[in-house]
Amino acid sequence: MNRKRSLLQNMLLTLAIVAVLFFCLFPFVQILSTSLKHQFDWGNPSLIPVKINLNAYKELLGFVQATEEQIPATVKKLLENPLITPEQREKILAKYRSTSDVFPFPRFFLNTFLLSASAASVSLALAVLGAYAFSRLRFGGRTIIQRSILFVYMVGGVLLMVPLYQMSVKVGLARTVWGSLLSLLLIYIIQTLPVSLYMLGNYFRTIPYSIEEAATTDGCSRLQSIFVIIIPLSVPMLVTVFVYCFIIAWNEFLFASVFLKQYHMFHTLPLALQSLFVSKNAIWDRIMAASMLTLIPVIVCFMFAMRNLSGGLAEGGVKE
Amino acid sequence: MASVRFKNVDKWFGKTQVLHDINLDIKESEFVVLVGPSGCGKSTTLRLLAGLEDISAGDIYINDKIVNLLEPQHRNIAMVFQNYALYPHKNVQENIIFGLKRAKASRDLIESRLDKASKMLQLQEFLQRKPAQLSGGQRQRVAMGRAIVRDADVFLFDEPLSNLDAKLRNQMRYEIRRIHREYQTTSVYVTHDQVEAMTLGDRVVVMKDGYIEQVGTPMELYLQPKNIFVATFIGAPSMNILDATLYPEYIELEGQKLPLATNLVKTSVPSDGQKVKFGIRPDFFQDEQLISAGEALTTLPNVHIDIIEPLGYDRELNLKLGHQTLKARLDLRSTAREGDTINLCFDMRRAHIFDIETEKNLTI
Amino acid sequence: MVSMELTPEQRESRLGWQLIAPCLGVIGLLIIYPILYNIYLSFFDVKLTGDKIFIGLANYERLLKDAAFYGSVLTTIIYLIGTVVGTTLVALLVALLMNIEFPLRSLVRTLILLPYFAPVISVVFGWQFIFDPVNGIYNHVMVEVLGLAAERHNLIGQPKTALFVVIVFDIWKHFPISYLLIVSKLQSINKDQYEAAAIDGYGPFGRFIHVTLPELYFVLGTLVILRLIWNLNKFEDVYLLAPNVQTLPIFTYYTAFTGIIDQGFAASISVVQFALLAFLIYFYVKKVLKW
Ligand SMILES: Nc1ncnc2c1ncn2[C@@H]1O[C@H](COP(=O)(O)OP(=O)(O)OP(=O)(O)O)[C@@H](O)[C@H]1O
Ligand SMILES: [Mg+2]
Repeated sequence: MNRKRSLLQNMLLTLAIVAVLFFCLFPFVQILSTSLKHQFDWGNPSLIPVKINLNAYKELLGFVQATEEQIPATVKKLLENPLITPEQREKILAKYRSTSDVFPFPRFFLNTFLLSASAASVSLALAVLGAYAFSRLRFGGRTIIQRSILFVYMVGGVLLMVPLYQMSVKVGLARTVWGSLLSLLLIYIIQTLPVSLYMLGNYFRTIPYSIEEAATTDGCSRLQSIFVIIIPLSVPMLVTVFVYCFIIAWNEFLFASVFLKQYHMFHTLPLALQSLFVSKNAIWDRIMAASMLTLIPVIVCFMFAMRNLSGGLAEGGVKE
Repeated sequence: MASVRFKNVDKWFGKTQVLHDINLDIKESEFVVLVGPSGCGKSTTLRLLAGLEDISAGDIYINDKIVNLLEPQHRNIAMVFQNYALYPHKNVQENIIFGLKRAKASRDLIESRLDKASKMLQLQEFLQRKPAQLSGGQRQRVAMGRAIVRDADVFLFDEPLSNLDAKLRNQMRYEIRRIHREYQTTSVYVTHDQVEAMTLGDRVVVMKDGYIEQVGTPMELYLQPKNIFVATFIGAPSMNILDATLYPEYIELEGQKLPLATNLVKTSVPSDGQKVKFGIRPDFFQDEQLISAGEALTTLPNVHIDIIEPLGYDRELNLKLGHQTLKARLDLRSTAREGDTINLCFDMRRAHIFDIETEKNLTI
Repeated sequence: MVSMELTPEQRESRLGWQLIAPCLGVIGLLIIYPILYNIYLSFFDVKLTGDKIFIGLANYERLLKDAAFYGSVLTTIIYLIGTVVGTTLVALLVALLMNIEFPLRSLVRTLILLPYFAPVISVVFGWQFIFDPVNGIYNHVMVEVLGLAAERHNLIGQPKTALFVVIVFDIWKHFPISYLLIVSKLQSINKDQYEAAAIDGYGPFGRFIHVTLPELYFVLGTLVILRLIWNLNKFEDVYLLAPNVQTLPIFTYYTAFTGIIDQGFAASISVVQFALLAFLIYFYVKKVLKW
């Protein structure tokens, strides 16, 4: 079937490929383009900005102050009143540092990053041990466990929003900001744990048993062989699973909105972008720039994971 | 170096018993080969010794010490796997010294062992390579190197050569013998290839369906097989097994009465004739025209030649005797042709008579 | 200290339980228990503060009479059919296309995966912008370029059309993963089969029907049922793009956390959704995995 394609076939093929690429990539180009446009340019269907506008990025990254504090003259006078305590003064000032206008992107980024990275790390650590157990150790009940994990893998967190919230109210976690953050971290861990278990379990099963048996006869205990053999052999998969979990947490909106809505400075990016969007001093270039900045780390992770994955480390050690 | 002993060992996987009452004594420095058809329990026997599986009943001793409860890492054994099982993320050198490092051996010791082993196995050039960059034969040598540097009490081999091509297999077989002569380590070697078993083993254990059928030196197995299974499993082409009737003085084969050698049959024979199986190896036939006078041989006259397979020095004749088929291996001097008949001679003392029920050899 | 009474296999079994225990603990406490607790809560009138009054099946009675609930079920069904059919078809077509050799194919294959890996939050607003009534390219093309519409519409502003946008968005977002699975299966099909079919006189279409499709049957089945399961649980993709499209999860969210908060009622919706999900999973396990 290696016939040469005719000119017509080639054109059709090219057309189809261009169409697919357009479908996949157009939204990204649109985001990038709008993030670089000035307001007068937004309605212009051309993707190339008439004039490049980097203000949105500068603002988000904190190179320029977003908006000056606009305090009415009457209020300023009031503040000069010596009877007002410093605390009261702060309170009044805070009102005018309108929270919806200040958009500390780096702060939100850091919140999301820390939360996602911790959730992914804990989940990965638990999953390495658990997946090793049910994919490579023989014990009574392991089939049931394997199947239940597939089951919880498919249940998903959305179904649990009420009970999880109620539980965290009941133990008092929802009352404080740190408690809320902890609840969120736990929720992200359980949202990612079944996936990690499932992916790692499947991967561990592909590592030939004899490699580990060789290690045991060479003097490793089973526990040691996890660290000496299984983990080094699974690095690409561990990275992939980590990235996967990281992205799940990075995207999560529902629980973040439930637990963190009232703590503005602890917003995660989805929450922050959403409130920026609905606040309607929403400006397209800022939203698009924020989208771009949210996208970039994920793209970097993605490329990293892809490159690693093609390494195929487990080849060569054993024969098929 | 160590002795190994299996005493009344049974192995069950769930509800199926795969090993039945295995008893086996292996002396220090001995090279024992387990051979048998696929699924007969060879690997399982080896894995029990390695501690990779639990034994269900009985005891295993290494150096007269029961090791039933000892985990593999504490048994001081080294194992070479069929698929090599090298650590893909470590280079050849790291692979070889991995066990020594685990055992916290001194640097000097590691160096000298590595040096000796890599010389012996001609691996010096490859020490820095990863397993993926080696050929099958080289990987097999690394696996071997990993075992020999360890100074283990026992070497275990599970079909180490079955992934290699025929030529490489011969060469590795030779290297395994050299290694054993050099290191004198007690070895248990699993294979389903009877040629490997015969050439490598000091003693060979023939297994079938989880039972040990016979233990003996290669020549014992070849000349005195205990039953039909061993008789046909060992030796290629395999022994002819023919239907016959046994009388006190002679054996009747397709109407021909062949006189028995004295003392051939060790058990008492009913005089009215008993259905038996008559066994004779193709190698032991000779063409009547080519034997020198004076040899006391039995003749099987007028055997029809069906097909001849020339194999160089040998010619393998596929023959018909009545309704039964048999094989003979004659040398190239024989001028027999397809379609002819031939008179075959053999030494009755080399023949075997098997009980039709128990399949036991009545001549030993 | 390792007890000498244990055999190696018993020790292995004990290690197995020890290693899986933390996972089981976490899953039991934060997934299994909440599932049961959710059922329990559905029999109560639950306040946001945690106070609750037992009301028996009242929540369910209300649910069965609630027009908004039925509206949400209908939305969910349309959403599921649209996304599952769309995702699978697009994925299949793209996979067939990417199975043809052409220059720069590996680059194209990687780029196609981008929508799947991009965080929802970083692309939904781009999609909002595309369909924006004032600035969006969609309205520009429909009204000014093609003249298919007389005036600019706010597609995302109206639930009916917004559902359509959400479906297209979801297809765009999720077809790459299905594509990836299909294409890897396509590559594993033995070339001999095509050659044999060609010798038997089948043209390209016949070969597709008689060789490709049967080989893909299992993968496609898996993809359809898994996509149903995943999308039944989707929240962010729908809510962030068009908060007015009320599939079941979003309906539950509104009931549980906004407006007149009624968490017991929300719990009962979740229970219904859970039952549906359990049925799908059962179907998947029996028919596809064949346990
Ligand atoms: N983990 C296991 N669970 C259940 N049955 C097993 C297991 N391992 C082996 N068996 C069974 O035990 C029997 C012996 O297997 P074993 O691997 O020892 O055979 P073998 O002689 O090495 O065969 P081969 O030459 O094919 O390697 C087989 O019938 C096999 O199916
Ligand atoms: Mg075997």
